[in-house]
Amino acid sequence: MSKKIVIQPVTRLEGHAKVTILLDDAGNVSDTRVHIVELRGFEKFCIGRPVEELPRIVTSICGVCPWSHHLASAKACDVIFGVEPPPAARKLRELANAIAFTEEHILHFYFLAAPDFVMGPTADYSIRNVIGIAQTAPDLARKVIRGRHMGAKMLEILSGKSIHPVAAVPGGFSKALTPEERDRMLPMAEEVLELAKFSIAFAKKDIFPKYIDVVKTLGVIKTGFLGTVTKDGTLDLYDGVLRMMQADGTYEDFPYDRYTDYIAEHIEPWSYLKFPYMKKAGKLSMDLDNPVGVYRTNTLARMNVCDRIRTPLAQKEFEEFRSNFGRPVQLTLAYHWARLIELLYNAEYALELLKSPDITSKEIRVPVKPRAASAIGCVEAPRGTLIHDYETDAEGMVTNVNLIVGTTHNNAPINMSVRKAAQDNIKGGKYDQGLLNMVEMAIRAYDPCLSCSTHELDGRIPVKITLLNPRGEVVATVG
Amino acid sequence: MEPDYLPEYCSRPTLVLGCGNILLGDDGFGPEVIAYLQAHYPAPKDVALVDAGTGVVDILFDIALSDSKPQRLILVDTMESGQPPGTLSLLPLEQIQGKKLRTYSQHHIPTSNLLRELGELSGVEVSALVVEPEEVPQEIQPGLSPVVRQAVPKAGGLIAARFFGGYERPIAQ
Repeated sequence: MSKKIVIQPVTRLEGHAKVTILLDDAGNVSDTRVHIVELRGFEKFCIGRPVEELPRIVTSICGVCPWSHHLASAKACDVIFGVEPPPAARKLRELANAIAFTEEHILHFYFLAAPDFVMGPTADYSIRNVIGIAQTAPDLARKVIRGRHMGAKMLEILSGKSIHPVAAVPGGFSKALTPEERDRMLPMAEEVLELAKFSIAFAKKDIFPKYIDVVKTLGVIKTGFLGTVTKDGTLDLYDGVLRMMQADGTYEDFPYDRYTDYIAEHIEPWSYLKFPYMKKAGKLSMDLDNPVGVYRTNTLARMNVCDRIRTPLAQKEFEEFRSNFGRPVQLTLAYHWARLIELLYNAEYALELLKSPDITSKEIRVPVKPRAASAIGCVEAPRGTLIHDYETDAEGMVTNVNLIVGTTHNNAPINMSVRKAAQDNIKGGKYDQGLLNMVEMAIRAYDPCLSCSTHELDGRIPVKITLLNPRGEVVATVG
Repeated sequence: MEPDYLPEYCSRPTLVLGCGNILLGDDGFGPEVIAYLQAHYPAPKDVALVDAGTGVVDILFDIALSDSKPQRLILVDTMESGQPPGTLSLLPLEQIQGKKLRTYSQHHIPTSNLLRELGELSGVEVSALVVEPEEVPQEIQPGLSPVVRQAVPKAGGLIAARFFGGYERPIAQ
């Protein structure tokens, strides 16, 4: 009899998702669907509002990466008003972005991804969680939390608020950094850099070698990649051009305002979330053997599309990564490795920005006047390329809004990686908790923020698996 | 003296966390109560009022693993439990566990290991002040329903009376 396996929720993800695995009569995987719940109605809500309100409002979309939405929105407003923020304002925005990235990447690696590796992917769930990590490796947990505290504190000092930032404004930044504040932040930034250096060394020595077979096989698919680089191909998370790379490694660069020439959106009847794909491919096919138009974003994509990294330690790690795996890297679990290189880059870059002489300049904002305009504000968010596309009327009121968030770009590849992991790990109807966690690991690699505002964390019944017959009747539950 | 690097939510004996999304109707109750408290009841130095919005899990991760924890944690949130809309309940940890918000909510009270760790293993006194929502919309629609809005000052007064050292009425209206 055909069965349907439903995994809900996908634990430890920063959101709420449901995975459905359909088995054929032989008990093999015939199809999988990752249902992602999206926060709806935001675009409609924005219309008619003064555009300068959006950088403040968008931080309520997502409690996980509010800084990315905040900065993408502020950048779009700069373009709407036709202004260029002063150099120090740009540096303050980049500094906030770099610190927020370090916080996010530390959280993901140690609390969301590492339990799979530290405890082992088939370990019992009751120890394979954040508390398990704390009890197994208390000194490590202490070190990590100290780094997280420092990230949060630096954002508090820099912007007044770390959770719902309001500091970036159209035309610049609202609060100058004083020399005293800079001096308070410097030792914290130094310590976060030490944690970043420790993290990648720790992962390369104690984690990746042990699981290299899993890294080389789990959820591996063949796709293109999208990310931001400067005009000379250097990794940039705040500003630059978009680079779309094909699976064969060839690529094309284009400015933000041409994204609709390169990205189209496909709709599946079973999913609220759209499936962006490469427009020039003409269509989207998520066929594992012959995918068409699929691209990925987020850390691995950024490591693939860039030619170099501007800070020395991250550049060294980047060279080693590329020498080990080539270009482009298609291994899904290599997202974790790439994430640690980005952690190092952001920690180095934050320190570099803090040490730059004009970071305490008081020239941080230029005046703005409303006008009819359209604008694209784009940044790299921890979870991928984030696009804010606005239009305003002559009074500066919003007439149109379109957002594409990082996780949406990855909708098609997440579905493909899950199908690949399921096919490889569920055969002849045989599966257990460990195998199903492998499916979840494939999703976690992408670090999806599944509804841009949901949080689910329930350790008591972490995975609910329901077996349904073709008529939708429950025949068994596991979990 | 407390270390300079500790964020506000790990450095005070009492932490009040307003949880929820202000863009989703009654789900915004927690942040509204924090805003009300900030406007009407100056918090004593040993109390941190934090609008955690939808970022509460990140904060709880940090608190759970930190050597510096608050002595008591009060979550202010929305919870469906079948009571009339607007009903306030102050729940101890053992009554929070096992309950959660609507299945399709934009956030959940994290009832799991984190709160258990905080309450049972770390000795943090955990409680939740929850309101029964009238409506949490499926699409973005800011603003509390009238009945839940009426509960905001009541919730603020309750927290101030209980955790701020005995205010009997708001300082300003």
